[in-house]
Amino acid sequence: MHDSWRHIIAISICLFALFPLYLVVISSFASSGSLQLTSFIPQEISFKNYQLLFNNPTIPYLSWVQNSLIIAGAVAVLSVIIGSASAFAFSRLKFKGRKQGIQLLLLVQMFPAILAISAVYVIMERVYSFAPSIGLGTRAGLLLVYLGGAMGVNIWLLKGFVDSIPAELDEAAKIDGASEVQTFWLIFVPLAAPVLAVVSLLSFIGTFNEFILARLFLVDMESRTVAVGLQQFIGGQYSQNWGPFAAGSILASIPIVIIFLSLQKYIVSGLTAGSVKG
Amino acid sequence: MNTKRFGFAGVFAAFALAVSTLVAPSASAATEIVVWADESRGPNLTKVIAAKGDWVAGYTVKVVTFSSFDALKDAFDKATDASGPDIVVGGNDWVPTGAKSGKLAPLALTAAVKARFNPTQFLDLTYKGKLYGVPVDINNVAMIYNTKLVSSAPKTFGEMVSNYKSLKASKGLKAGLCIAGGGMSWGAHSVFSALGADAYQFNSRGGIVYGRTFSATTFGSNVRKYLMDGKKSNGFFPATDTGCKDNFLAGTVPYAVIGNWEWADYVAKGFTMNLMPVPGVKDGTYGRMFGSVSGALLTTFAAKHGVEAGAKSLLTNFFASTDGQVRYQTLEKRPPAEKGAQADATVSAAQRGFGSAASLAGIPQIGAFLNTNKGGANYWDSAPAYWTAVLIDGKDAVKEASKLASIWRVNVEAGKSDL
Amino acid sequence: MRASISPALLFSSTELGPMRMTYLIRGKVALLLKIIFVSLASAVLIMLAQSAFAQREYVISAFLALTVLALALTYLTKISIPLKFFIPGILLLIAFVIGPILYTVTMSGFNYKTGNIISKEEAIVQVKIRGIEADPSGTSFDIKLGTYDGKEAILISDITNLKYFISTADSRTPVAANDVTLNEYGVAITAPNFTILTDAQMAGADKSFSKIQFQYEGEYFIALEGFEAGIVSRQVLEYLPVTDEFRNLVNGSIYRDNGRGNYALVDDKTAILEPGWRAPIWFENYSKIITDPRVREPLVRVFIWTVAFALLTVLTTFALGLLLALALNRPIFGRRIYRSILVLPYAMPSVMSILIWGGMFNTEFGAINTLFGSDIAWFSDPNFARVAVILVNLWLGFPYFYLISSGSLQAIPSELLEAAAIDGANPRQIFRKITLPLLLQILSPLLIASFAFNFNNFNLIYLLTGGGPRKELDGEIAGATDILISYTYKIAFGTGTQDLGLASAISLIIFVLVASISLYSLKKSKVLETFG
Repeated sequence: MHDSWRHIIAISICLFALFPLYLVVISSFASSGSLQLTSFIPQEISFKNYQLLFNNPTIPYLSWVQNSLIIAGAVAVLSVIIGSASAFAFSRLKFKGRKQGIQLLLLVQMFPAILAISAVYVIMERVYSFAPSIGLGTRAGLLLVYLGGAMGVNIWLLKGFVDSIPAELDEAAKIDGASEVQTFWLIFVPLAAPVLAVVSLLSFIGTFNEFILARLFLVDMESRTVAVGLQQFIGGQYSQNWGPFAAGSILASIPIVIIFLSLQKYIVSGLTAGSVKG
Repeated sequence: MNTKRFGFAGVFAAFALAVSTLVAPSASAATEIVVWADESRGPNLTKVIAAKGDWVAGYTVKVVTFSSFDALKDAFDKATDASGPDIVVGGNDWVPTGAKSGKLAPLALTAAVKARFNPTQFLDLTYKGKLYGVPVDINNVAMIYNTKLVSSAPKTFGEMVSNYKSLKASKGLKAGLCIAGGGMSWGAHSVFSALGADAYQFNSRGGIVYGRTFSATTFGSNVRKYLMDGKKSNGFFPATDTGCKDNFLAGTVPYAVIGNWEWADYVAKGFTMNLMPVPGVKDGTYGRMFGSVSGALLTTFAAKHGVEAGAKSLLTNFFASTDGQVRYQTLEKRPPAEKGAQADATVSAAQRGFGSAASLAGIPQIGAFLNTNKGGANYWDSAPAYWTAVLIDGKDAVKEASKLASIWRVNVEAGKSDL
Repeated sequence: MRASISPALLFSSTELGPMRMTYLIRGKVALLLKIIFVSLASAVLIMLAQSAFAQREYVISAFLALTVLALALTYLTKISIPLKFFIPGILLLIAFVIGPILYTVTMSGFNYKTGNIISKEEAIVQVKIRGIEADPSGTSFDIKLGTYDGKEAILISDITNLKYFISTADSRTPVAANDVTLNEYGVAITAPNFTILTDAQMAGADKSFSKIQFQYEGEYFIALEGFEAGIVSRQVLEYLPVTDEFRNLVNGSIYRDNGRGNYALVDDKTAILEPGWRAPIWFENYSKIITDPRVREPLVRVFIWTVAFALLTVLTTFALGLLLALALNRPIFGRRIYRSILVLPYAMPSVMSILIWGGMFNTEFGAINTLFGSDIAWFSDPNFARVAVILVNLWLGFPYFYLISSGSLQAIPSELLEAAAIDGANPRQIFRKITLPLLLQILSPLLIASFAFNFNNFNLIYLLTGGGPRKELDGEIAGATDILISYTYKIAFGTGTQDLGLASAISLIIFVLVASISLYSLKKSKVLETFG
């Protein structure tokens, strides 16, 4: 058949994509704590690991998930607003230093941020000394730090999309007496829903994954994020417990995967609309 | 329109200013002692301290649990006055760097308190002659053998290897001796030592000998004889510790080096705690095992927070006291460092087994020698690298051993000034 | 020729009709809302600025005050319209990105490493504390805190000799044995003119009592060791503020500031007092990178691998993604299912995926060796480790390029392709001469962004191989899979000596490198031309 090569490629890459995930699933149902592949079909199915996550009082898994969702969700929404507002301004408004501004934004992102962690830690420590509710150890504080990069991270995608919206719409709005801000909120945002959805999802996933800052900031057992909390199963000084780690990973990924799959159509059009110029 | 706007804005700004002056920032509690601990010690400490609320009169104690040992270390490295703890329960290897950097504060214990501990335990927590914490529990390893596979305690290293070879096919053994606890540098020191490579050398009076190191030729040829089959490993001793515990519990490895903090898992699977040090090449000799101490360390932040005397009292009244250690170890199940607690009935037989194995062939863990990398790499990185190089990469056992020996010799020399 | 996609064209200006009325109504309400919002925000920020000032955080306080001013000016006047869009983003950027970057850059000019971390004032305090030595025979007493003659004092019980006395900062008064009352441990708890502190007062007294050196004998004093014990000690190191030196009171040696963050013995500069402090050494960290072979050689090797790694990642992920996009460009049976599965690696949290892959590469028990029956020591051999790293990154990254290639392929107008086919070009030529160049043009900023992202892809290396393998026995410093950022992280936060100053210098250099490469590529791809 003329199309068989397409199926062959697709199926083989699908196997490649699925294999580690299959392994995680098996490990989560295994009773031993290791990541060994003793056989492809699991000999025994045990729910021990899942039970550990929900029944053990020293492992507040649901709190972790809640924390991750809240923080990632807040970052997703707020960073999209900030990012799209900046993209709109860079694209539509003419002002001095426009080109330099966006170049600066891109450059700033290239600094290896990992090394600035000490500095961020010191800043948040000081914030804690006068504003304990938004300083070190609080979700709000971590949120603020994550938002620091909101402006620059997705500026390309967003700006590309705004560029592709014809200027006639803006002019029509101006004639009707709308200011730039009103144009942004009332015209641009509804139109840009697919791209904004994509950007917020990417932002959500990125924040969900982040653990270096999160483990420094949210130490308290109840306020940890999932990424940090799961680390404790395999980050122990001398022991690694892959079973609960696998179970926790799967549960944590399910919501993201569901959102991703249901928004798939938007994502494809959004990612490319942002990269194509009119 | 503009003036109106400014008018509105002005009114609201004044209102805002007025509101803000009414709210003053609250002062922090000056009577709280903050203790940081990792994911296994933290919860137990919290329980013990909550059970009795007045370890130090007039103070509350708050225990902060970190998600992992690494997270704790990371945070402590970055801590400053504002957010740092007053006491941190950490490994003894933090003492040199913490003291050097001015994060840990020196303690002076009374003779009465010191008498309750073994003097080598203080060595672990000392830097340049000053003590920085109190010993809380002991970490050591010992070798356990599966009585279903081998009926009696092996007398020599060679006996273990021949037992492995004869049983390999019939019992489907995956390895002969593996390290289930402590990793390939800390736990594996007993194997290094059994075959002739001690991390530092002692003279007959128990003092450290500088400028000398283990004999690379002797050690290398022992490795060739017992662990190799030509250029490849003979399967007796794996180069990594992955899967060791599972395999031992499943009965496919006859000998394993296990840590005293996990004995409960083995008992639960029906093993008896027949513990011994790793036998050496000659009958009657044994490989030395590290006995290290975890300590409750005093930080310089305690003085900044105005709780210095309180923290010191907590250290002596709780962490270093018999009562405190007994209560804590009942939950934590590691061997306590304090003598009174060790004699307590609640310390299990398993811990006694570990203790006697340690007294038979133990070597103190001296951070000054092990943590420095003046020789090119520190002990923790160079030791597992040897196993990888020889057992996996097939490099020459003696050549790699002489590289290792010179690294360790330089390290010990360099560490002398930090003692 | 440029491809164009405009979902906006679906909207005609007539649809704006109904919105006209809403503008006018929203106008007044919007204004009121805006003023309330700005005022509330200002109130909160002013409050925070005041708290910051009260806690002596002047820089932060000033920043917050300026923020209030900026917000008020931006939103309540018409000074600058673009600023209305930028201001929140810019303020956050300055606070949490630019500020830390500047701090890090500043740190690169300091001798900022283990042993030299705190400030000089703090170091002096610490050296003084360490300059206190306990009496060699370890004499200690049981004490009780209280006041005597209105001054802080301790009531000392020498239990072995049954002697008691009261000591303050200036004086020591013996107390007769029958003037005191003892508790059950034999420790004196009352004495004439001595008021003991109650339990409730103890915590408050901590700060003042801890600093006092209570009189004992000669140069020896009693220092508090908790609330119940006092240790006889003496001050061995004395600080001379006038000359900024430390003097050893026992043997008279002098320690002077060596300009690099430590007090060093005048006669032997290598004997230093610890702890030290972070002292400015200007460009020494940078010159170390160039002149010290122990720093320079690993850095060069790591840089080469980092560039190779980033390039290979972009190439492989793009190639695989594009291949899949081409394969699934036609609505074949099951395309939806394929698409859903192919997206999964991207949708799964990468932290977890990387760790699972790490487990799969294990030599003895890993899934890969078990599956293929091979015996490869993946993470012990430098080349196999590199292959593993690229493979995992391929798994993580191909869905992204698949998605964008897929959409971009659809964006290429079919008229172009049809015209080329009519002209007699075969599929391969069409792909090479039309599709591929167009795609590259569309996707070039994203390819460049992917390169920059992977150049600094810390998570992958840290979680998968830790930068290894490393030939420690041969004295190697950087591992085979270390990229610049993971190597620098080890220098800054690894076990052993942490050198933040050097790491900051290296990170600045990394930044300059990545920025130049990216800017150059951007210029070449003419992407910035969109800004007329």
